[in-house]
Amino acid sequence: MLLEAGSSDAVVVARVLRGDVEAFSELVERYRDRYARYAFHMLGNREDAEEALQDAFVRAYRSLARCEDPERFGAWLFRILVNRCRTLGARRGRRARTFVVDEVALLGAAEEHPAGTTAWREEIDRALQQLRGDQREAFLLKYVEELGYDEMSQLTGVGVSALKMRVMRACERLRELLSEVYDA
Amino acid sequence: MSVAARALIALMLVAPQAVAQDARLSARLDKPTLVAVNAIVDSARLAKLPTAPLVDKALEGAAKGSDGQNIVVAVRQLSMQMGSAKRVLGTSATPDEIKAAATALAAGVSERDLARLRSASGKRPMTMPLAVLTDLIVRDVPIATATGLVVQLARSGVKDPELALFQRNVRADIDRGADPSVAATTRARGLVLRSSGSGNKPSE
Amino acid sequence: MRDETEQDIERIARELRVPVAVGRALDARVMRAVRRLPRHARFGLWSRLITPRTVTVTPLVWGMLAAAVAMFAVLGAMHAGADLNRAAKPIARAFFPGPKNAASTSQRVQFVLVAPDAKKVAVVGDFNGWDASHAAYQAQHRGGGVWSVTAPVPLGHHRYSFVVDDSLWVADPTAPRVIDYDYGMPNSAIVVQEQK
Repeated sequence: MLLEAGSSDAVVVARVLRGDVEAFSELVERYRDRYARYAFHMLGNREDAEEALQDAFVRAYRSLARCEDPERFGAWLFRILVNRCRTLGARRGRRARTFVVDEVALLGAAEEHPAGTTAWREEIDRALQQLRGDQREAFLLKYVEELGYDEMSQLTGVGVSALKMRVMRACERLRELLSEVYDA
Repeated sequence: MSVAARALIALMLVAPQAVAQDARLSARLDKPTLVAVNAIVDSARLAKLPTAPLVDKALEGAAKGSDGQNIVVAVRQLSMQMGSAKRVLGTSATPDEIKAAATALAAGVSERDLARLRSASGKRPMTMPLAVLTDLIVRDVPIATATGLVVQLARSGVKDPELALFQRNVRADIDRGADPSVAATTRARGLVLRSSGSGNKPSE
Repeated sequence: MRDETEQDIERIARELRVPVAVGRALDARVMRAVRRLPRHARFGLWSRLITPRTVTVTPLVWGMLAAAVAMFAVLGAMHAGADLNRAAKPIARAFFPGPKNAASTSQRVQFVLVAPDAKKVAVVGDFNGWDASHAAYQAQHRGGGVWSVTAPVPLGHHRYSFVVDDSLWVADPTAPRVIDYDYGMPNSAIVVQEQK
């Protein structure tokens, strides 16, 4: 049975919980790209990001009956993804980095930053990977995913003041690492 | 007149039919679903189709929490598939063969291929070959490949226990990462060779 | 200085906010993985069927109810033929549908499922009216997550499934499968033949 276009997360979750496993693909499609960005920046390469995403979706499916607020399935899934990225990041350590991003988006960004976007972007990515994992996580959640500190605290289980400290340290370190690029 | 009274009068009018039907359905289906399912069962009985699979299909739906409309659709679908199966397999087909053939049709086997398998099986029962064929398709062996292999095995006179072992071996190979088509073809080839060596009598 | 810091950070963040696209191949991999997992199920209709309800009945309706019961009893006996015992048995058989002639038309079959996290496992199928509460088909935990039950199954072709913790339907991983789009949950098939 086809889901109506625009069925809310709660509707789709209900279908899956009644046994319609194929309905889960609707949720995958909905959140796959939205959360790819976080996973990519957290882990530093597409391969690991896809593994974390895949893992998160499968875990979400497995525990779907425990999703207390199906209307906010996205936020619940994101929490799972954040945890997967932590685990994968800790396990993998440093790896060769490949920065392959969406070309269309890259072209769009080029118009905004005429000063050598690819190089500039690579510098940012490199600097990001040099941050401590917890600082990188806090920075991405605050400035890239644009969450509030309360949300971040719920997501990570870390207190607000600790998160603020991590964000501040991350910002200092990034500016330090990128100071040569700024000055150029 | 209250709703309850109207319902009771209706119940008294349909009482003779209701008593003759499976009491398990009455216990587990709501009224409209029960009426619809019983009508399908009655039609199947008149067409000399096995009715137990239809009752089982309805009971399954109730057990799985399906809504009444879905149950009726499922039962009607099975009834139609059994009708097709009986048409192809002939009046000598057993209820189990009709049921297994209906399952194979549901998996995508065509009536034409069903007829091929009937012809290849000769007088031997088709229940096990049909179950194995369905399983291969569910495990992503393309329908044409799966049908071709099972027809070939039937023609070679492979017995049911060997077919059961063939199914288990293919499943194990697939679970270990083998391509379903390759696994099925390889195992079938081995079985045909062994059958021709062991003197299994092929069907005429 | 602070404004400059914030501007720098905003420049960095803007770059990082550029979408990162992941191909649809990921969808396929996810769906392949979840299809291998046990499906979810919720007993919506069954819950509604067994939830007690208060019904108000007038004396007239009570009288009609009594008449209907009497009619059922008479018609039941008539349809059952001379064997009046059969008329009394339909309800009992509904919940305990044993094989017609136990000895010669059924075999004892062992069903095994490995489910380390389960608290309850039952076998449900064509051979027991899809009744998850049927006593003879409740699996016992043998240790190490292994659940098994040996129960009578009539000769012939049957579809069946395991029910874990009254909520999760699991096809038998070791048995042939059947496609069951009707209710969205795959079943297994068993063909029981007479032992010679």
